[in-house]
Amino acid sequence: MASNMRGLTQFIADIRGARVRELEEKRINKEMANIRKRFKDGNLDGYQKKKYVAKVIFTYILGYKVDIGHMEAVNLISSPKYSEKQIGYLAVTLLMHENSDFLRLVVNSIRKDLNENNEINNCLALHAIANVGSQEMAEALAEDVHRLLISPTSQNFVRKKAALTLLRLYRKHPEVIPAAEWALRIVSLMDDTDLGVVICVTSLVMALAQDHLDAFAVCYQKAADRLYRLTVEHEYAATYAYYKVPSPWLQVKLLRLLQYYPPTEDNTLRKVLHDVLSTIMSNSAEPSRNVQHNNAQHAILFEAISLAIHLDTNSPLVTTAAVLLARFISSKETNVRYLGLDTMAHLAARTDNLTAIKQHQGTIILSLRDKDISVRRRALDLLYSMCDVDNSELIVGELLRYLKIADYGLREEMVLKIAILTEKYAGTYKWYVDTILELISAAGDHVGDEVWYRVVQIVTNTEDLQPYAAKVVFEYLKSPSSHESLVKVGGYILGEYGHLIANEAGYSPMEQFQVLHAKSQFCVAPTRALLLSTYIKWVNVFPEIKDQLVNVFERYRHVLDVDLQQRACEYFTLASRPDDDELLQNVCEEIPPFPPRESALLGRLNKKHSDTEDKRTWIHGGKDANLERELTRKGTRKMTLGDINGNGSANGVVHTTGAGGDATADTINSLLGLDLSTSPSSATVSAFPDLQSAPAATLAEAGIPRLTVNTNVDRWFEKLCYTADGVLYEDIQIQIGIKSRYHGHIGQLAVYMGNKQAAPLTSFTTTLHTEEPDAVSVSFAKLAPNSIAPRTQTQQLIHVECKKPFSKPPVLSVSFLAGSHQTIAVRLPIVISKFVEHVKLGQADFFERWKLIGGPPRESQGIFPIKLDEAGHVDLAKQRAIVAGHSLNVLDGIDPNPNNLVAAGILHMSVDGKVGCLMRMEPNREAKLCRITVRSTSENVASEMQRLVQKPLNADTALS
Amino acid sequence: MIHAVLIFNTSGVPRLTKFYTPLQQSASNLTQRIFSLISARPSSLCNFLDAPELEQFLIQKDVDGEKLRVVYRNYATLYFVFVVDGAESELGVLDLIQVFVESLDRAFENVCELDLVFHFDEVHHILSEIIQGGLVLDTNVEEIEAAVKHAAKARRESYASSHPLSLGNKGVGGSRNTGLQTPLNWLTGKLTDSLSAWE
Repeated sequence: MASNMRGLTQFIADIRGARVRELEEKRINKEMANIRKRFKDGNLDGYQKKKYVAKVIFTYILGYKVDIGHMEAVNLISSPKYSEKQIGYLAVTLLMHENSDFLRLVVNSIRKDLNENNEINNCLALHAIANVGSQEMAEALAEDVHRLLISPTSQNFVRKKAALTLLRLYRKHPEVIPAAEWALRIVSLMDDTDLGVVICVTSLVMALAQDHLDAFAVCYQKAADRLYRLTVEHEYAATYAYYKVPSPWLQVKLLRLLQYYPPTEDNTLRKVLHDVLSTIMSNSAEPSRNVQHNNAQHAILFEAISLAIHLDTNSPLVTTAAVLLARFISSKETNVRYLGLDTMAHLAARTDNLTAIKQHQGTIILSLRDKDISVRRRALDLLYSMCDVDNSELIVGELLRYLKIADYGLREEMVLKIAILTEKYAGTYKWYVDTILELISAAGDHVGDEVWYRVVQIVTNTEDLQPYAAKVVFEYLKSPSSHESLVKVGGYILGEYGHLIANEAGYSPMEQFQVLHAKSQFCVAPTRALLLSTYIKWVNVFPEIKDQLVNVFERYRHVLDVDLQQRACEYFTLASRPDDDELLQNVCEEIPPFPPRESALLGRLNKKHSDTEDKRTWIHGGKDANLERELTRKGTRKMTLGDINGNGSANGVVHTTGAGGDATADTINSLLGLDLSTSPSSATVSAFPDLQSAPAATLAEAGIPRLTVNTNVDRWFEKLCYTADGVLYEDIQIQIGIKSRYHGHIGQLAVYMGNKQAAPLTSFTTTLHTEEPDAVSVSFAKLAPNSIAPRTQTQQLIHVECKKPFSKPPVLSVSFLAGSHQTIAVRLPIVISKFVEHVKLGQADFFERWKLIGGPPRESQGIFPIKLDEAGHVDLAKQRAIVAGHSLNVLDGIDPNPNNLVAAGILHMSVDGKVGCLMRMEPNREAKLCRITVRSTSENVASEMQRLVQKPLNADTALS
Repeated sequence: MIHAVLIFNTSGVPRLTKFYTPLQQSASNLTQRIFSLISARPSSLCNFLDAPELEQFLIQKDVDGEKLRVVYRNYATLYFVFVVDGAESELGVLDLIQVFVESLDRAFENVCELDLVFHFDEVHHILSEIIQGGLVLDTNVEEIEAAVKHAAKARRESYASSHPLSLGNKGVGGSRNTGLQTPLNWLTGKLTDSLSAWE
């Protein structure tokens, strides 16, 4: 502490006392010289070192360059005294940056402090890593930081720091953090009881989830649940209320996190989020007198509106939001106007229907003249986003008018935006040319080259436009002062298309030449070069002014500029060739249309992000722009998955280490290209990796749990396939039981989860996964509670719907903290036979249908060994029970052999409709074999039913 | 993320500068630039400012789409300025500034500009309990105060153990040199921005 060091206090007082800058500098130089000498002499004790380093820090804070004290700071870090250690760390975090060589020297001291059993030293070390974490530190210490984060013995304030430190290491060096593998463990901390921890972990999850959406998918329900508890149930520690608002910072983070995921399909979650959002919106209806309270309330509200827009632009919530926003943009309060415009731009960028926004067009246009530049910028963004075919002429007109008085800082961006809008929504060519030329003549210096390149491209590719463009540009050139960009456009267009208008009065070749050449003297060399090219084109089409043109070449042959001189010489020679020579004609052939390409303007506006930074959830521009962006992002995301399967690992490196540097639209395109070329790999990804054999990292990345394997699990599962109730899983901590009911293609499962221990299971999370989402859908009726008290049970309902035949039962994964973090993933006993209903058939009907269906492929047959019962007979009762358990109606008196079993049923599916299914089983006692034949109108169903019925009867595979 | 936290007084003298991204150019240029941007704005304007001109200082690569924004608040003679990117909520940051000021206030009992000068190390310690590496650690003033006190206690103990003869309690803020004090006090009540006009 400064006050403990008298010398330091004196030093500070002296500097404050210095009346002029020179005196201050003199005092500092004197002090630095003294310190340098002391350091050089060495032999300082801890206190002295601390004092001098503190002085160095102070000098640095004043804005002076310091080049001493680094080594002493490194020494102080390893001091046993906290006061010295603290100053040492402060110096390291202030004086050093992540590439500093001195950091090598502190890695070991930091590791020692991290591992020490002293929390405040842990904190100092974590703080230092979070501030200056270098590559070397990341590699050496990431594991230790992670351990501090998840260790049950860590104090809350240590865990908070550890979470953010990990985040910082990930941002800087993503390759050292196995994000997907740690995902579930980290997400489970979002259930912590301490909101401070939750804030930090949420920040961490937000950063990691953006790059590993699937691996972190569980965080979606955690975030929704937490928001619900904060806003609707008011469940939080009193100290986290900020001016009576429950932790606004956390709410904002959670709302933001949810926007990184595509809108959820799960009805339960949708309902929860709807409650949260409508509560937030109605809370804001009652503005309070307190500034801070209002502030916090609005912070949440604006983020909530963004989430509502993200989830569904057609929901009633968004309609409410639009009304609120309309009020905000005409608020007296500048902050609110600013954010109102910003959020409305988000709405405009996403919605299908701009009517609600267009009602306020007048207010928005007025905001362009707001006294605050920040507000003006937002208004500009909004106008850009809300522009469409109907209002484009008006908005572009307004923008053009405003451009002439706009702040200089705004102009370049405005020009780009106007150019894009004009091109995108041009109703007539005439309007396009008029507007864009007015833009170029009005904005002058702020017109980037892209803008006039684009004009030339469009005029070249649109034949109808050429004579008109030539005329208009000619008129603009006649005005006494034309901007150079305009001269360039003019030179190009008149050179190519001037001959199209040359026969009309006032546009004769001579006049064209005079107007253009008059500008030449004010232009820089590259523009003059362009004009020379125009002249040579004219030599070809306007023989009547050839003398003047050749005269110009003649003069330019002697200018100093190399490029100009060379051009002039070449053109002069070309022009001086005999009249019947065809070379000139060939050289001056009309420019062919440009290949269609995307406007470079958009690329310039939406630069890509570097990889581990927070991404935007939307961009300015219309709905289409956002849709397009989504597609590109999906494309890149798919590729990430491809990588983990071991295909194209080189791409993976590109993706994670931030080739972000040069990333533009081109990079995205090339990435997409790669994706196509490795299409076999993406095919394997979409076809879902096999849950048992795929490498753990792949599963984690895709957010699929690793199945829990042991013989008991398989036995329980097998039994449940032909019974309705029973145990699905059990170990010393937890028991999971199932009760089920099916009707037609719909089913309902009650899952009972019991805690068998004397301690609660916390951070309890249940999730469902389907590998064939098109064929079978499963969802929870409501969110699971996040803890189970000791020796109690909780029940969860699952709704099931069968759409098409499927062969992979959905997976239930349950994870919880009980000392360590545990995950159990088991298949649910949901198989197609559950959706079969009885059908009654007589002998004649049965055989008629049997014959109608016919042999393979609609027949599936198998022969398998069977066990005989103790008496040496075929266990007919068991066979009957299992066949009936698979919901098939056992039909008696149809097969003449009483030992044979005949059964029939109808499978109900919501998409593929009903499928009949007939079965015949012929056991053979002597051979201890059994033949099963299943015929069905759908081949998939036949083979799957055969497999299901056969499995528990087969002596080699049966477990139960 | 938060790229920088700055405090300067109304004459533009920086009292705290903390950068969470490595600077591309000298810090004093940057603080001067920010100060000139902000001090020109009357209090009726909003607390946010787009600052594309700061990118050359704070963004390393020439990429980068996310525009920086300056969020600031003016308390008595001090400007509290946060430079943040698009991932942060503007109003959220405004709340955070208030949290920071309240935390300073608790540590120094009516914080004033001189506290920031003489106890620059302590100010950094407090900040480090709120923001770490550009990310928010906690927003709960109670928790922040507890963490600061915890560290102060450890420091005092280690100091006492090495100076057995030292007298008196040199705690946080308790030992301000009274002769140098200027009466700025109670910053938290001195919000001078437009927010107070809120209805």
